[in-house]
Amino acid sequence: MDVIQIERLEAFYGDMQALFGVSLGLRAGETFALVGANGAGKSTLMRALVGLVRDRRGHIRLGGEELIATSPEQIARAGIALVPEGRQLFASLTVEENLQMGAMNRRRGPWDLEAIYGLFPVLRERRRQMAVTMSGGQQQMVAIGRALMANPRVLLCDELSLGLAPVIVSQIYDSFARIRAEGMSMIIVEQDIERAIAVSDRMACLLHGQVTLRVEDTARVDIDALSAAYFGE
Amino acid sequence: MVWVETVLNGIFLGGLYGILGLGLALVFGVMKVINVAHGDFIVLSAFIGVFLSAAVPGVSPLLIILPVVAIAAGLGWAFQSVLMNRVIDSDDMLVPMLLTFGVSFVMRNIMLETFGATPVTLEAGALSRASFQVAGLHLGVLPVLTLAISVVLFGGLNWLITRTEIGRVIRATSDNTAIARLMGVRPGRIYALVMALSLALAAVAGLLLAMRTSFTPSSGIDRILIAFEVVVLGGLGSFWGALLAGIALGVTQLVGFRFDANSGLLYAHLLFLAFLIARPNGLFGSK
Repeated sequence: MDVIQIERLEAFYGDMQALFGVSLGLRAGETFALVGANGAGKSTLMRALVGLVRDRRGHIRLGGEELIATSPEQIARAGIALVPEGRQLFASLTVEENLQMGAMNRRRGPWDLEAIYGLFPVLRERRRQMAVTMSGGQQQMVAIGRALMANPRVLLCDELSLGLAPVIVSQIYDSFARIRAEGMSMIIVEQDIERAIAVSDRMACLLHGQVTLRVEDTARVDIDALSAAYFGE
Repeated sequence: MVWVETVLNGIFLGGLYGILGLGLALVFGVMKVINVAHGDFIVLSAFIGVFLSAAVPGVSPLLIILPVVAIAAGLGWAFQSVLMNRVIDSDDMLVPMLLTFGVSFVMRNIMLETFGATPVTLEAGALSRASFQVAGLHLGVLPVLTLAISVVLFGGLNWLITRTEIGRVIRATSDNTAIARLMGVRPGRIYALVMALSLALAAVAGLLLAMRTSFTPSSGIDRILIAFEVVVLGGLGSFWGALLAGIALGVTQLVGFRFDANSGLLYAHLLFLAFLIARPNGLFGSK
């Protein structure tokens, strides 16, 4: 059974509809990539899943539990964590304090401070530093660590590579092997299609708030079909 | 010697002013709300203190502080949970402030109806007259005690905010409420806690001030004026800045009083005005 089932999900910003009936399922332990042009609704989907977009309809089921009408804090307790676009670290908190915020719900699992410092050793050296004074790549590590600290059942990563140098992006994606080894189920939003294909098991392409293509095996992607789905030709 | 005493007394009084501003600064720092009713809560605490003091005569007014602080904290929690949290998510910053403005009016009139307009003081008995001499200086016990309490409260709040888990959650909520919710934080509860803390601080200040000077149900205006000046002079959201600002205002007031016995808070207000022109971001303000 899927860890998370999204059925006919619609999301609205005021009068503007941003998602038009998106249906997706995430299998346990897999990495699922969402690609699509700017404004396709990828980030909206992420934000709707964690409750940051309040006006949403359809079904979001986590292990069978319906979350469509629940608050962000309840969704967090149920076990969905987000690495938000632009990192959004707490500006007046140190690295370690930011990480500790992730563990507020006291969910049990393999991820604690020691495990995060094992994954990103540079964070241990800088744990007393204010998080927002670090480099972009290190801030992204804090954002990932903060989400992992919740020991979520599903980890959502929104545009990890945004504004980072390619070599840094590679370092960050290298850590995914460790995260997957712990059995984490993940949905990632990624602008870089090659990278999305490389790190994911399955993927879907979004355009104008709808799924335009599903790829069941990223080892065998039809680039022409993906290009058509991406640009809507 | 008289001048040294005056300056010292100004410092003692200033600690108290710092506390007046501290609660206001805390609420503004976390919720970005200016609680216009802060002064009225200070006065209400003083009235509760007078009432309790009359109900159980012979108990030191310093001990009265404890139950009054507990009541004020409870009031703050209820005020935030029942009223303020309904409007706190408003896109318009003016809405929560207008609500506190309304609450201020309602409170003032209820207090006027209940306690009357006659000025009252909180009788501190022998404590208000007790004094001691150090190096030829003649100092009151109550003012020194007041400053000590102020410093302890400033230090305690600073510790709570920077060193404890609850302080971490308060700072995170203040930084980014939406993301804090993704960590499982319920902002309404944090806000209620912060308001409880703010009004607990206000209660301490209200009682200590009521032992020094008489007050009426309308005194909230004077109280909040000082609180505003402390917050702005210290730099919005700066804790230790608020203490220094309070001391600056207290010293200026008492030194001005030496020159001109009818000046009241005039010179303190003038100092504030001068600073507003010279350093609009306050002593420790950034940007």
